[in-house]
Amino acid sequence: MSDILSTGTSALLAFQRALATIGNNVANVNTPGYSRQRVDLSSRPGQQYGFGFIGSGVQVTNVERVVDTILTGRALQSAGELGRLSQLSTLAGNVDQVFSNAATGIAQPMSSFFDAAQGVASDPTSAAARNQFLGGAQDLVNRFHALQSQLQQQDNGVDQRLNAGVADVNALTRQIAALNDEIARQSGAGAGKAPNDLLDQRDQLLQQLGAKIGVTTTKADDGALNVFTTSGQALVMGNQAATLATTVDPYQPTRHSLALSSAGGPIAIPDSGVGGELGGMLQFRHDVIDPAENQLGRLAAGLAFKANAQQHAGTDLYGNAGSDLFAMPTPSVFARSNNTGTGTVNASVSDPSALGTNDIVLQFDGTNWKATDAASGAVLPMSGAGTVASPFSVGGISVTVGGAAAAGDSFLVRPTADAASQIGVALTDPSKIAAALPVRGSASTGNTGNASFGTFSVTDASDPNLRSPITIQFTGANTYSINGAGSYTFTSGAPINVNGWQVALNGTPATGDTFNVGPTGPGSSDNGNMRTFASLSDAGLFSGGNVSLTQGVSQLTSSVGSIAEQANLAQSAQSAIDTQLSDQRNSISGVNLDEEAANMVRFQQAYQAAAQIVSIANQTFQSLLSAVHS
Amino acid sequence: MSDRVSTVGMYSQALTAMLARQADVARAQLQLSSNSKLLSAADDPVGAGMAVMLDRASAELDRYQTNAGSVGNRLNLEETALASAGDRLTRIRELAVQASNDTQSTSSRNAIVDELKQIYQGLIADANSGDGSGHYLFAGSQDASAPFAQGAGGVTYSGDQVQRRVDISSSVAVDDTDPGSEVFQRIRSGNGTFAARAAAGNTGSLVLTASSLANPATWTGGSYNVTFDGAGNYQVTDASSTVVASGAYTPGTAIQFAGTSLTFDGAPAAGDSFSVKPAPNQDVFATVKNLIDAASAPNSTAAQKAAQRNGFYAALEDLDQAQTHLIDVRAGVGARLNTLDTTATERDAQSVTLKTTLSGLRDLDYTEAASRLSLQMTALQAAQQTFQKVHSSSLFDFLRG
Repeated sequence: MSDILSTGTSALLAFQRALATIGNNVANVNTPGYSRQRVDLSSRPGQQYGFGFIGSGVQVTNVERVVDTILTGRALQSAGELGRLSQLSTLAGNVDQVFSNAATGIAQPMSSFFDAAQGVASDPTSAAARNQFLGGAQDLVNRFHALQSQLQQQDNGVDQRLNAGVADVNALTRQIAALNDEIARQSGAGAGKAPNDLLDQRDQLLQQLGAKIGVTTTKADDGALNVFTTSGQALVMGNQAATLATTVDPYQPTRHSLALSSAGGPIAIPDSGVGGELGGMLQFRHDVIDPAENQLGRLAAGLAFKANAQQHAGTDLYGNAGSDLFAMPTPSVFARSNNTGTGTVNASVSDPSALGTNDIVLQFDGTNWKATDAASGAVLPMSGAGTVASPFSVGGISVTVGGAAAAGDSFLVRPTADAASQIGVALTDPSKIAAALPVRGSASTGNTGNASFGTFSVTDASDPNLRSPITIQFTGANTYSINGAGSYTFTSGAPINVNGWQVALNGTPATGDTFNVGPTGPGSSDNGNMRTFASLSDAGLFSGGNVSLTQGVSQLTSSVGSIAEQANLAQSAQSAIDTQLSDQRNSISGVNLDEEAANMVRFQQAYQAAAQIVSIANQTFQSLLSAVHS
Repeated sequence: MSDRVSTVGMYSQALTAMLARQADVARAQLQLSSNSKLLSAADDPVGAGMAVMLDRASAELDRYQTNAGSVGNRLNLEETALASAGDRLTRIRELAVQASNDTQSTSSRNAIVDELKQIYQGLIADANSGDGSGHYLFAGSQDASAPFAQGAGGVTYSGDQVQRRVDISSSVAVDDTDPGSEVFQRIRSGNGTFAARAAAGNTGSLVLTASSLANPATWTGGSYNVTFDGAGNYQVTDASSTVVASGAYTPGTAIQFAGTSLTFDGAPAAGDSFSVKPAPNQDVFATVKNLIDAASAPNSTAAQKAAQRNGFYAALEDLDQAQTHLIDVRAGVGARLNTLDTTATERDAQSVTLKTTLSGLRDLDYTEAASRLSLQMTALQAAQQTFQKVHSSSLFDFLRG
């Protein structure tokens, strides 16, 4: 009888536990990260009697958390990727919007500026056309500034978010370390039984941490999880959490990257070893901001370089050589913070066609300077001696070094990163727009031949005698002298090169015919120089002369758009994977209310039955008692 | 998909699906309201890059059209000025023929001279034509001030010989208006190759009646003098006084040497001579001035009459050259105007192609987008309705009571 009672009681207790667990499942149906729990029942060992064994009831062997640890691992990895790609796609999308919108992009003002140049070419002395040209230049410069400032703001935003993200990560790692401690302790106390709810909490925190920075885990024997960055640096070891901090870029103190604090100073985490949102931000900086700034700056520097050169090759309304139209941007140079020497580096743009879009690191080994690509580390060919007389020439810039650099010192040169903010309009007087060619030709009206000048072009604007008058005199039908000296063979249509300009004489000159070339005077309505200027937008300028300004703008739009597109696609794909993982996790670990209801009915009925057994035991006992009493 | 679905999973799946449908709808709506299938370059990076280039090309075409309009305007004005100058030269030639008629009295000739002087002024005004925006058409690059001015020595030109070129398409540029020096000044005189002119001190009644280049192959381009001895003979000497031809002079019979053929009339006095030189350039104003001088010269003696007739002969020859030259220049302007027209057609065709390509890259297919929107709306509604249906029942509902 006591067997029956004890069996019934064991069932009552077991089903009570089961109902309690069902209750807990139902209560946590909406708790993020909660894994449904299941009571494992087993029969208690039977008692041996002579005729055999009689069962002695049921017992709860374990309350199990239904979870697929492989799935959890994959979900953790997916959270890191999704965090990184979401951040990248959002941020790249912002920049893409700015660059591809006609109202904020560079294409439209660039086009208007060159249209205004055509306007001056078509009516060179018109004050309205000249003012429109200067206005167009100012609009273009303003747009360069606006875009650069947008990129700067995004860059600053990355810094701010890095700092905020670091605080989040540190809070999470501390909680995980504390949970590790508690889980190890409770596992020990529970003789190997898992503290289910703590495990769920830890998994949930890990998901959050993974989404922030991207992590991998290994499990320790005591149930604690060790957490590492994707590059393998420990964030949590057992109950110890490392402290994440931001550290400044060795070249650019305003730029932050991530590091782990340690007694020996911060240990940098390579940007490539950071996943999650923080990794997305760092990647955004590398893949979007830096290239966009460099490309935008290259457009600005190339434009200023070419426009100024073209101005110098012409003559303005005052009859003078043209002066700079744009304030020419200069490359930014950053000395590494731990340089020990007093060396200084100055750089200027010397050849837009060789300008790259990568930064350059200049290193001094004690005797020689070496230039490397900052992104790839590849050694760049460099000529010259680094002196003013013979500057280093590397990647389209010329570099002079001064002071005394110590061995191992290095400098970061960003050829065009800040060019878009530095470019400005240097010309204010519309009459100083050099629309005219520096020289003009005239055939003497006494000439009896029918030869006439073709179109002049400037081959070397820096020739000191560019504007010197010269006379071409025909000493025979096919020979001519220049300024009374020399005897040159004449071929109709072949270019004659003198003093940095060239021109063809077409037709048949007669002996004694004279042709004069002299400087263009003031007030000239010639448009020769401005025509060339207006065609600069389509002239090969970058990448060895294969890419024009217009193509450069097109490339910039495409490349920013393409990064955003890639990030969007990858983000969508990762999002689908993440949803799938989450669905899978839900299908395994999530609570189904119908299932719980069914289980509840099942255990309720079993409980009622067990209660009947106790009741029967009681009645049996009572029968026996009354039998004895009576 | 396993057989088991958790309650949260069902909600989140339904929710994810609804959110995705909503995003689709929002996107279609944005495309429809902006009439653009590219909302940003990320939608089609290559296409967006191409659109930048095509936009630029399209803007350039618009600009070229403006250029063509303004240069066309100037060329039309040049045409008008040249037509006017040509008409004046025609009238001058008529007057020259009239004035050279022996029947003219001194007073009638004076009336002709008065008219010639008027036309002369008109011709200068033509050469100083403006383009209506403060620039002179025939001044080269010095077009802020009038290029032709009358002075003691005749009309002087203060412009230069610079001729602008204006781009009217990416590959075609046309010359702007011609410099005045090339229109009115650089005109070969005489018969276009050489000019035979009477010496100033001739005393006989010798007049030139015809001069032509009989044999261009033997024309040397040198200078010659035809001298008459008054006794019926002539001789031709070259620049170094070498006699190259000589013979008996017969009025009305051509004297030929060095490829030239000259026919004289009248009686030369001893020592009378004609010079034969490669035709120099002479501006049209000097030509008309010479005509006026000839017409107003005294003609009482035989020598004066002969000088006047020789003057008329030279003036008519020079006028013919000037008229031909102006016609040539006008033809050149006409050719450029023609280029403007053909290029305009070309530009229009290019513009249509560009705009079609751009539209294909960027513009939305409304029918497609509208039907897509309605499809997506249906999908969204379906998602909402199934959500409502699926989540309205739970086993707990049946356990009540």
